[in-house]
Amino acid sequence: MYGYRLGAIGIVCTFFAIIFSTVLMPMVLFRPNPSGHGNDYTAEKTGNAVRGRQIYVREGCFYCHTQFNRLQDRGYGPLVKAGDYVYETPHQLGTARTGPDLTNEGLRFPAQWQKAHLVQPRAVKPGSIMPSFSYLSDGDMNDLVAYIETLGNMRKPENYVEAPDEYRTTTEAGRKLMARKNVDTNAVASANAGRGIYTQNCAACHGLQAEGNGPNSISLEKKPANFTRPFYKQYPDEFWFYRVSEGVPGTRMPRFGEVLTEEQRWYLVAYLKTLPQNQEVTINKVDQVDKPEQIELPAMTHEEYEPPTGAE
Amino acid sequence: MGAGLLGGIEFSNPDFVHNVPQLAFPHLRMFHVNAVAIGWLSMGYVGSIFHMVPTLCKNKLWSERIGNITMWAWNVVMIGAFCTLLNGNTEGREYAELGAVLDVMVMLALLMVAGNIYMTILNRKVKKLYVTLWYFLGSLFWFPLVYIIGQRTFVSLPGLNDAIVGWFYGHNILGMWFTTVGVGMMYYLLPRLTGAPLYSHGLSMLGFWGIALFYAPTGTHHILQSPVPEWLKAIAVISSIFLLVPVLTVLTNFFMTMKGKWTMMVTDLPLRFAVTSCMFYLVTCIQGPFQATRWVNWYLHFSQWVVGHAHLALLGTFSFILTSSLYYSWPRLTGRAWQSQGLIRAHYWLKFLGFLLMMVSLTTAGLIQAAGWAFGIPIDQWSLQIRPYWFLRAISGVMILLGQCIFFYNLYKSTYSPSAVQAEAATKPREVKV
Repeated sequence: MYGYRLGAIGIVCTFFAIIFSTVLMPMVLFRPNPSGHGNDYTAEKTGNAVRGRQIYVREGCFYCHTQFNRLQDRGYGPLVKAGDYVYETPHQLGTARTGPDLTNEGLRFPAQWQKAHLVQPRAVKPGSIMPSFSYLSDGDMNDLVAYIETLGNMRKPENYVEAPDEYRTTTEAGRKLMARKNVDTNAVASANAGRGIYTQNCAACHGLQAEGNGPNSISLEKKPANFTRPFYKQYPDEFWFYRVSEGVPGTRMPRFGEVLTEEQRWYLVAYLKTLPQNQEVTINKVDQVDKPEQIELPAMTHEEYEPPTGAE
Repeated sequence: MGAGLLGGIEFSNPDFVHNVPQLAFPHLRMFHVNAVAIGWLSMGYVGSIFHMVPTLCKNKLWSERIGNITMWAWNVVMIGAFCTLLNGNTEGREYAELGAVLDVMVMLALLMVAGNIYMTILNRKVKKLYVTLWYFLGSLFWFPLVYIIGQRTFVSLPGLNDAIVGWFYGHNILGMWFTTVGVGMMYYLLPRLTGAPLYSHGLSMLGFWGIALFYAPTGTHHILQSPVPEWLKAIAVISSIFLLVPVLTVLTNFFMTMKGKWTMMVTDLPLRFAVTSCMFYLVTCIQGPFQATRWVNWYLHFSQWVVGHAHLALLGTFSFILTSSLYYSWPRLTGRAWQSQGLIRAHYWLKFLGFLLMMVSLTTAGLIQAAGWAFGIPIDQWSLQIRPYWFLRAISGVMILLGQCIFFYNLYKSTYSPSAVQAEAATKPREVKV
């Protein structure tokens, strides 16, 4: 009989000790101050975004999108801090990433793009499995987009994307690379030199106007990048150089480091830098999606068709 | 089940349902989780508790009227959940989506169950408490508490504290309710079905106290890479690893009880479900602590691997033991034998193979995703590579749902067809002492 009572008291004490250590203690010991880098949803100033957040919760976006990035997540902006979440109730940290992380999603895409993406994700991102939210009313949709566009705005990153260390001056290899660079990537002349290299090597997939709709694009499951997107403005030189040299894993983007010389690649970078625009050039009719640009080849002589060999 | 399947299809074919807010994936997902957790598993568990506790105490349930009220309350909650969650009326907290009114009703139902069972056990006619009763007593003590704390219906905590409490609840609805009641049911069913006495009562006590000590603080391992305090993460990881102790103790006990009786699985179908459940329990509990360590979590977190793990626990382990319990207790409660053994076999194989397919496809998809995140490959590139696995997962959903339909058909036929009464005399259920 005593063993049974002792057991019951044991369960009660154990359980309260555990609740104390894992539920109450964090609330007492862990009270981060607002960092100023997170959004303040208690304030009126954010306007529609506050309502947009409620729609984000209502539509259950957090089942597939997380709102905290980790040290190892390259290309997702500055790392979050504990103080960023003070006003986030209920928390929308999320559990699984069936879609991308949205920590710093705000202003990465124009609001119009976000809206088109919510209505029919596959029109702007072929192959996406995101459900369509076309049933949202106009007001709901605008508020939701307003909320998405505020995400991470207070964090003000220098660059969302950074090239691997061996391309940056933080390492010996990167410093040597920069020492060898003899092309002024900001000069108009360099960009003009890069234009020819682009036409010969890149236009077949990315298109002459760099809208990602070259003739080859129709046969590619993963569509080539549209360089007119404002997103590409933040690419630093070395990141362009890295992408051109090593290609993009998981796509047909080849490693041009194998065929172009370093000098040619720097000229190409100078040209690529001129392509991003303030507003992305997109196709705004669904029936035009997947229609590649028709390139009219001029009559060329035999010599002009010779592929670049890398040797000058 | 159906919600899960539809959700699964929408993964492989995102435009399958268009412009219907009630059938959009996130709404289905909320309902799926709540229907499985609060509907199927909890209701089945409470039903099994109401059957097993009076049997073990050799007396009647303290109050059958309260028992009936509980049943109605629970069903009303599920109707409410169906109406609210599919319309997006959610609190936005994973596993705690139900609105305030439904929360209160679940809470009242839980308290009624707890009071009823505690009174039944206090008035028992046998002196010794079997280990199953320990588990049920424990679960009915701590689960209402975990539920109150976890719902956060009437409080509003700052973001990360909200997440800490949320995962305390999110993991403990598994650890302090599904696991402890499920393991208690295994302790009841295995000796009953095999006719062998439990291998060791000492070991069973060790297992019980191990779970009681180490399960509750593990929740934070779900947010191991977010900016929550390091000491809390350390507690979570260490107790997750310590969980191996009670799990292996419990399973040693089960497998030693089964010693010499393994061949009974061939003919005894409820036992087959129970043993399958034990096997999946072993797998899921080896996987769990392994995933909770920081360096594995670093790689695997956020991927479908974790979804596979959750299904391994809730579908592979606890649904199987619940099904076993239903197959065992239904003839004893209604006095009618199962109409068709063949349909039980079909149910078993559809559920077993369907689940294996789901597990394999989710785990593979998870590894691809994890590699994508770890190597910094843009998401819209690797997401194309996992489409075949979404498709396989949808097929597995069809198999499992078909199995459940067969189960329901068998249940209906066995209960309502007049011939079942005669069949009962021929195949009278074996009565075996624990």
